[in-house]
This record gives sequence, C-alpha cells and structure tokens, in this order.
Amino acid sequence: MCKRKILIVDDSLLNRNLLSGMLQDAYEIVEAENGHQAIRILEKQAYSFSLILLDIVMPEMDGFEVMAYMNKCHWINDLPVIIISAETSQTSVNKAYDLGAVDFISRPFDAYIVQRRVKNTIALYEKQKRLAAIVADQIFERTKMYDQMVSILSQIVEFRNRESGLHVLHINLITEMLLQQVMKKTARYGLKPPDVRVISTASSLHDIGKIIIPDGILNKPGQLTAQEAAVVKTHSVEGALMLKRLSVYQNDPIISTAHDICRWHHERYDGTGYPDGLVGDDIPISAQVVSLADVYDALTSERCYKNAYSHQQAVGMIRRGECGAFNPLLLECLQEIGDKLEQRLQQPPIALKENRKLQRITEEVLQHRELSVPTEMLRQLKFEQLRADFFEGAANERTFVYRSNPPVLTLSRPSASLLGVREVVADPVHDEAIGRCAGASVEKWRRISHETSPESPEFTLDSGFTMDGREALCRCIGRVVWSAEEIPQYLGVVGVITQVENGGVCP
Amino acid sequence: MTVQECYKRLGGDYGDVLRRLVQPQLVDGLMAMFLQDENFDRLCAGMQAGKREQAFRAAHTLKGVCQNLGFTTLFLSSEKLTDALRHGDEQVPPDAVCLWEAVQRDYQQATAAIRMYMASPARS
Repeated sequence: MCKRKILIVDDSLLNRNLLSGMLQDAYEIVEAENGHQAIRILEKQAYSFSLILLDIVMPEMDGFEVMAYMNKCHWINDLPVIIISAETSQTSVNKAYDLGAVDFISRPFDAYIVQRRVKNTIALYEKQKRLAAIVADQIFERTKMYDQMVSILSQIVEFRNRESGLHVLHINLITEMLLQQVMKKTARYGLKPPDVRVISTASSLHDIGKIIIPDGILNKPGQLTAQEAAVVKTHSVEGALMLKRLSVYQNDPIISTAHDICRWHHERYDGTGYPDGLVGDDIPISAQVVSLADVYDALTSERCYKNAYSHQQAVGMIRRGECGAFNPLLLECLQEIGDKLEQRLQQPPIALKENRKLQRITEEVLQHRELSVPTEMLRQLKFEQLRADFFEGAANERTFVYRSNPPVLTLSRPSASLLGVREVVADPVHDEAIGRCAGASVEKWRRISHETSPESPEFTLDSGFTMDGREALCRCIGRVVWSAEEIPQYLGVVGVITQVENGGVCP
Repeated sequence: MTVQECYKRLGGDYGDVLRRLVQPQLVDGLMAMFLQDENFDRLCAGMQAGKREQAFRAAHTLKGVCQNLGFTTLFLSSEKLTDALRHGDEQVPPDAVCLWEAVQRDYQQATAAIRMYMASPARS
C-alpha cells in the first residue's frame, strides 16, 4: 500500500526537518515554506494529500490566509488541517478553529503525540469518506431500484393502453417541473424538495387501475358507450384500492402518494370530476398536479384518434376550461414553465430519464448536510448532468470540457486537432502547448467565464489563436457549470469552439 | 563534551528533548542545523533597521525552534522579545531593545556550546 501524503507548511527549515524526521517513515512528505507555495502545490493536487500540518506566522502568506483560501475552494471539508504554530494566544487558536482547523499540536513537539494525532486524524477522515461513499451508493441503488420497479409497473399499464411508454416519462417530468414552480411561488402546500421527488415518482403509477379494465373497452377504436365509459372511469378507484391492499407499505411515502394520485387524478378544481367530486384544495396537491400534467400531455401527444396540439394550443385549451377546471395557481405555473417544458419534452427519452435520475440523486444527497465529504462527488454528478445536457447531439463538434478542480481540460478529437494540442491537458493555464496556441486568450477566457453566474452561465468569446504558425480568430461558446450548493461554486466549463474566418463562422 | 554537557551549558534539558524526539541522531542533526538557521540574523537585521514586523516574525520563529529543541534559556528570552514585538506600529518599541540584548547574549552562549559539542571527539 502506498504511503499517505502529508504537506508540511512552515517557514522554518529546522521545524520542517523536525516534523519530517518524525513522520517520514510512515508518510510521504511534501514541504512548503510559505502559504503561497502551499497553495500552488494544493492547486495542482489538493486531493492527493491526506493531511496538512500548517504553521500560522509565515512570510508572504500566513496560515490563516491559506485556510481562508482552502475554504473558498472547499478543500477544507475533505482535507484536514492541523495547526503546528507556536502562536497559542486565545484569539489565534479560535480563529484557526473557526477557519476549519481540526486540531492543534502545541510546542514543544513530541514525536509520539505528533504521530498519533496525524494517524488518528487521517483515519477519521478516511472513515468518514468511506461512510459517505456507502451512503451515496445506497441512495443510488435505492433510487435505481425504485425507478426500475415503478417503470416496470407503469410500462405494463402503458403497454396495455397501446401507448409508447413516453407518456409516463412525460408525466414524471411535467409533474416535477410544475411542483418546482409551485414551490418557488408559494409555501401554501408546504412542499419540500423530497416531496417533489416522491410525487413525481408516484405519478408514474397514476393509471395502474387500468390494468383491470377489459381490453375490449380500453382499446376500443370507436366511441365508448355510456356504460363502457363508466367502466373506464373505475380505473381511478381500482388503482387506489390496489395500493391500499399493500397494507404493509401504507406508511411508505411513495405508496401513499401514489394512492392519492390514483384516486383523485380525475377530480376537477370546481368539483365536477370523479370519483368523489372533491372541490379545490380538498384534492391533494399531488393529484391536482398530476391531473394537469396528464391533460397537458394527452393534448400535446399524438393519439390514434387525434393529432398532437402545439404547446401554445394546449395551454390555450386548458386555460379556456376545455378540459375542466384547474387550480388557477397551477395554470400560472404551467404558463411560466412553458418554454422550458416544451424544450425538455423534446429530448430523447433516454436522456430524459438518465438526466433526471442524476438530478434527483444530487438533490437527495444534498439533503444530508451532516455529510460534508460527498461534496466532491456531488459536484461530479452535477457536472455529468450538465455535460450530458450540453453534448446532446453535438458528438462530432469541436467541444471541450474544463474542470477546475483539479484543473483538467478535455478536448474532443476535432477540437484538439484544430488547436494542435493533446486531447487531455492537465493544468491548461500553465500548459506550454496551450500557451503557444492560445496565448493571452487563456487569461481572457478565464476572466469572462468567472464573470458568469448560475442564472446566466453562458458566454461567448472571440479571440486570436495561433494554429500551424498562422493567426486565426476562434469563437468559443461556453457554459460554466456552477454547483447546486447554497453558495454556487465554479466547477468548470463545457463548450464548443468554432473558427471565425472572413467574418463568417465555419464550424 | 557530551550532548548532555552541551545542553547544560546552553541552559536546556536534554533528557526531555530526547524523550520527545526519540532519535538522538535527529536531535543531533537539528542542533547542527540550528547553527545554519538564519532567523537570528533576520531578527538582528530587523531590530537594527527598526522594522517591527520583520523582527517579530524572526523572533517568533526563533522562539518556536528553541522550544522544540529544548533550548530553555534562549526560548524564554526570545519569547519575551516576541511578545514585546507582537503589537505596535511599524517601529520597534523602545522596551524591546534590552530584551533583544538578552536574546543576543543567550544566542551567543547557545551557539558557542553547540560549536564546542560539534567539534568535540565525544560526539559519536
């Protein structure tokens, strides 16, 4: 097993030697003689270290500044810092702890104590990382299992209905987007992100009652008789009963939510729906949302008896009450999410599903605030999700992905050959080949991308490049990936490069 | 001169140092390094130029090193000086000067003892 790596930051060579003398048998030691050097080392390879031993009083950049920087980069959560300063005044000690130091080793150093503290701290952090990984795996597995079971069930229903299976995916997505908008607008329904997830998963089951409707009625090509229509209508009560019979799972939020949705997704806000004729908010919000999603998707999808209406037409028909009355707040929400919804519904089904799964896992893990460690993993997920979005249908383009931590630039083959650099470039800002080809553009690019925000993450930059010794103008269209945390972090950029010649753009 | 005698002469406790640092050759190497350490020179330059901040940092580091090496006498005088230099404006405060003189005296005594030890045949 390879040795764990420790960074010792102290301006006194003698102190560094003293500490490495105590630790070098068990650890790989890297030394820095001031804060600047430490940061430079960490920027290249923060996550290769298991621990930092940090002095406070140092020239150029002191230990407090190093920790402030580590906070800014979120390294402090994953990389423990032990203070080794002779500075033991109450204010210094408090300040160091406030900035995230794990421990103090006071002078004079004692080899046994130093070795034990280092060992214990590393073990503790590694244990927490392992536990966090296990939790994340379990959440992933559970989500996957639920998703699989729910999709199997809903696919069976869809298959019997002679529908493509897209309907369920659409209902999931519309439900989720509507609920998120409701959450933004009002606290009236007390919705929290986990509720959105539960309702949208449960929405897949809204039509399971149709499984007991005879095929001859369910798939009858012509007009249904009044009697047949009454049979079809029983699917809401029947579906709810099926879920009620799962007595063991009555406390499961998905099952109980699915029950409400099954029973009441044909109710209408004015009390004219079925089976119970509930009025207004007596209809659970889950069922209200799914019923609107159901109607919207039915209108905008092609069926054997009708063509698909456009988004505008569908919203118009719903607002005019042609499909019954809905909660005015939900109608507003539908209007507001219109453009985004239309666009997301047009994504290919696989992308639709995978994307949402990633998003959901990200949100769920974010709920566990006590787990500081998976931050890095969450960022990876967030990144994958946006990357997937961005590269939709852009496989052969000149694309690139830049991750800021650790800094790695990955170029698609066409981009790499355009710029004449390798496909994977570590630390591109300081890379020679990149410097030769991009020159001052690198700094411009860095600055402009940092000036974006999570609300408007896109940027366009035209700048000069040197390719095969010739000057050329390239356009870089990028999208910055900001993390979903409270204080968004700059995670990197995904983008495309095009060459601009004679004022025109040739891809 | 043995290392114990050296510590006695410079005012320190070798038994305690060896207990903490465990390996005699590590202590030996660090003592040799102490002669090369530039913090004392930096401290003097700072004091002579009247630059408080520079003098403070050097005194602080010197103090920390002495504490680790168990040079008790020099540790105590450099600690007093460090505290006198800790706060204030750009200038060195006047009361720091006599504390600096004590540090100079203790430093000379310590380095003289270490040099004697390094040169003595008793050093293994």
